[in-house]
Amino acid sequence: MSLFFLLLLPFLVGLVMAVMPTRARTSLAGGASLISAGLTAWLITLYPLVRDGQVIRQTVSWIPSIGLDLILRLDGFAWMFSVLITGIGALVALYARYYMSPADPVSRFYALFLLFMSAMLGVVTSGNLIQLVVFWELTSLISFLLIGYWHHRVDAQRGARMALIVTGAGGLALLGGVIVLGHIVGSFDLDVVLGSGDRVRAHPLYAPVLILVVLGALTKSAQFPFHFWLSRAMAAPTPVSAFLHSATMVKAGVFLLARLWSVLSGTELWFWVVGGAGAATLLLGSYIAMFQHDLKRVLAYSTMSHLGLITLLLGLNSPLAAVAGVFHIMNHAAFKASLFMAAGIVDHETGTRDIRRLTGLWSRMPYTGALALVASAAMAGVPLLNGFLSKEMFFAETVFMTSQPWVERGLPVLATLAAIFAVVYSLRFGYGIFFGSPATDLPREPEEAPRWMRAPIELLVLCCLIVGMAPSVSIGPALAVAALPVVGGVLPEYSLAVWHGFTAPLYMSLIAITVGIAAYVRIRRHQRRGHLQNAPVIERFNARRLFDLGLLWLTLWARRILKVLSPARLQPQMFAIIAIALLLALLAARDLPLAWGEREQLPASAAFVLLWAIGMACAIGAAMMAKFHRLVAITLMGGAGLVTCLTFAWFSAPDLALTQISVEVVTTTLFLLGLRWLPVRLEELGVVASARTRLRRARDLLLAIAAGTGLATLSYAMLTRSAPQSISPFFLERALPEGGGTNAVNVMLVDFRALDTLGEITVLGAVALTVYALLRRFRPAAESMLAPRQQRAVPADVGTDLVGPTTVEGVARGYMGVPTVIARLLLPVMLVVAAHLFLRGHNQPGGGFVAGLVIAIAMITQYIVSGSRFVEGRTRLLPGRWVAWGLLLATCTGLGAITLGYPLLTSHTAHFAVPLLGDVHFPTATFFDLGVLFVVVGATLLMLTAIAHQSLRAHRQPSVVAAPVAHVEAP
Amino acid sequence: MNEMPGWEQIAAAGLLIASGILVVISSIGVLRLPDFFRRMHPPALAYTLGSWTVTLAAMLTTETGPVAHLLLIPLLLAITVPVTTVLLARVALFRRRAARSGDTPPPVTAPAVTLNEQPMAER
Repeated sequence: MSLFFLLLLPFLVGLVMAVMPTRARTSLAGGASLISAGLTAWLITLYPLVRDGQVIRQTVSWIPSIGLDLILRLDGFAWMFSVLITGIGALVALYARYYMSPADPVSRFYALFLLFMSAMLGVVTSGNLIQLVVFWELTSLISFLLIGYWHHRVDAQRGARMALIVTGAGGLALLGGVIVLGHIVGSFDLDVVLGSGDRVRAHPLYAPVLILVVLGALTKSAQFPFHFWLSRAMAAPTPVSAFLHSATMVKAGVFLLARLWSVLSGTELWFWVVGGAGAATLLLGSYIAMFQHDLKRVLAYSTMSHLGLITLLLGLNSPLAAVAGVFHIMNHAAFKASLFMAAGIVDHETGTRDIRRLTGLWSRMPYTGALALVASAAMAGVPLLNGFLSKEMFFAETVFMTSQPWVERGLPVLATLAAIFAVVYSLRFGYGIFFGSPATDLPREPEEAPRWMRAPIELLVLCCLIVGMAPSVSIGPALAVAALPVVGGVLPEYSLAVWHGFTAPLYMSLIAITVGIAAYVRIRRHQRRGHLQNAPVIERFNARRLFDLGLLWLTLWARRILKVLSPARLQPQMFAIIAIALLLALLAARDLPLAWGEREQLPASAAFVLLWAIGMACAIGAAMMAKFHRLVAITLMGGAGLVTCLTFAWFSAPDLALTQISVEVVTTTLFLLGLRWLPVRLEELGVVASARTRLRRARDLLLAIAAGTGLATLSYAMLTRSAPQSISPFFLERALPEGGGTNAVNVMLVDFRALDTLGEITVLGAVALTVYALLRRFRPAAESMLAPRQQRAVPADVGTDLVGPTTVEGVARGYMGVPTVIARLLLPVMLVVAAHLFLRGHNQPGGGFVAGLVIAIAMITQYIVSGSRFVEGRTRLLPGRWVAWGLLLATCTGLGAITLGYPLLTSHTAHFAVPLLGDVHFPTATFFDLGVLFVVVGATLLMLTAIAHQSLRAHRQPSVVAAPVAHVEAP
Repeated sequence: MNEMPGWEQIAAAGLLIASGILVVISSIGVLRLPDFFRRMHPPALAYTLGSWTVTLAAMLTTETGPVAHLLLIPLLLAITVPVTTVLLARVALFRRRAARSGDTPPPVTAPAVTLNEQPMAER
């Protein structure tokens, strides 16, 4: 069976579960746990294949051009992790059946649960570093959804967000580290990377790689100083915590450290960075855990400290310590999952997780109590349980390591201290809530949990006991298989016996247990009196507050920078665009001085000069009136546009003239429609421009003049030189023989440069959709919400079609009668014109673009004279579909050439002899042009009608809308 | 141009001159007449008779011989110009009423119009 199955099965089943009935708890839980258990069983049968350092490897080509393959790689270590993930997954899935309330949408839970399992399996079986990072980020994302499962709760939202930010940022660092690592090694293949440890350690970029990779691992494993997210993530449902924080999510960090242990470890830097973080977290986590009152938070901080222990072991640069680390990964998964589930049962049955209120539960729930007691004893490192063994190995490592004297002396002390703390919080968890006088004020009357809710815990606790009592028989082979790939080659000598004689580690354990019990008694007495409610000293340093502060700072600066770079106002953006363009042009002019060409000039004609004088007057007038009278400005712009049209016609560019005039019409309509929503300029206020405003205006004027002059100069320089190397002659010569059309412009658009056109119409469609989307959310300014002044001027009792052109009756309707009838009669005429322009496009001025614009104008005319209600009551335009069909048609025409064995968008011209019409030539490019036409019609109509529909929408009137208007009336 | 018969050249020239004169007259009219409603009339000279004369001249001077489809221009002009005229007249009327000139006729369906621009709060 393929290894990909391991990832795909939970993934696909997870997807299916997402659409299952939301409350089908039993079938969903059964499905999820059976699949997980099945995968576990299958993985166990693979044991002979991964024994003795063998590796199962499967490859699928992914992006071969950059040397990336999808590699699944199962060695002993990955195998151990996969068994943990699927095994504990199966148990937690079963447990969650009873934990989740009937009201919870469990299909989402199980879907995410299986997706997460798939992602986590992806992390551990990745044979490629980039692939590993992808799965790594997937676990971050899905854990965000899992932690925020109860998304109506604020603490869940915050916890999930914090977890995502911290682990996501770490993932980014990891990606950086992995890329540099791949650069050093020359490959992202894990096998190659694992084989080049010496080269990596000797490379000058070793330190950056180490820091980046370790950043990724530390954030994921909630190590100091990124530990704060873990306790917040306890807002997740307890099964999620049990799964994520015992065997999966947080273990991914230590997994990574162990995975790359043979590559990155063995240096001073590794020791200080990894070991330092581990030691700090070990002590800090266990210390804070002693003073927590929430059951799950005790467990969260203890998880932190145990991960710190593993990190420290991996950081000690000794193969034996690494073996101990791997061993502790397994042990911790077993007892921590069972403890989380026990905490969930207590929470579920009593309705509270507050340790101060929970006492004497033994009489009500003896089974759960016994299980929790054994598991917490394992957590404390009591002999004959699995936690004791790995802790002994850890103690031995701290005692026998060689380093600087103060480290050699300090580390055993630190280890013992952390062990004492561990005993204290384990007692608080296991002993404190089950013994003592029975609690009386619990929110719910507790009773024993259902049989199958306890079963997963029983199984795990049984594992703890078996491993603790007969380690070499039960876990020995698995540990050897798992640890071998980590240390890379040769396993160090170690003994898994329970009894090693009276050694230093044993004394350390005994000290920890006795001092721990004494400390527990003392602390409990203090806490009963109301002292020591928070962790002394540490409570002043709140990492979460620092995190929040950091976030706040980031947001603040992001906002400030955005304010400068991307202001909400249009004017500064325009200023920036033009200023930067001008600057770039000037920079370019430094290397390439401006010079006029020697092209022979046409004789000036008085009529043309006069025409341009009018055009310039219009343009300047438009600029001047833009601020004071927008309608006049638009009219003058139209005048300038007409002059441009005439210029094109004058210089024998009828195609351009035709296009220009249609574009002018559409643009002017667009402006006029938009004008309605611009706030009225309040001249009555008589605002006197301040000196600063004047200065700004002068600056803008200068920039405009500079940019305009620059453009004019450039155009002049361009136009005065002859262009012997230009591509124009090429198109002119080949348009007819190769493109089959005498209109070179059109042939260029639909044939020679058809790919450009395809891109352009795609952009056009996208722009239209964007405009539509933006206008859907458009909220006009408060002062422009009222009907226009002209409409308000009519008293309500006067019937006139000014207000409702179609609703009024009788003579009042006559005003628009004549224009409406004429415009409606003109619709077919305009469509015929469009058809004419379209059909003759290949040989004479015209084409799909112009024809499309003409159709759009024809429709818009109907909108203008009859109103949107009238038009849309009679036709269904669906501009979006026009765009879609147009793009489809154009693309399919292009692809048609490929199916016949020609390059994309090759045109073929067919000649027919048609009666009456004679010889007709019909290029396939016509279909392409028709696509262009469709897109243009659709896009233009989409944009124009989106604005036109604004006046049909009911805008919510703000309550204080009267303020500015009243202000105007007052003087 | 050179192969064109003399009578056609003469006719085209005459038509063009006539259209020029018509346009000049209508421009002078727009300039000289006192108010908007009276100024609306002179342009009619340009886009009726004026456009016809230009079109006929163009038809006569086309290189491929007289063509009929140029007639579409004055035809379509005749159809579309009233739209503009009606709308313009309407706007002018509206503005005059808003400005409350004494000699403006009232709307057909109701007595005098008052400019009703009270603040929202009072409406």
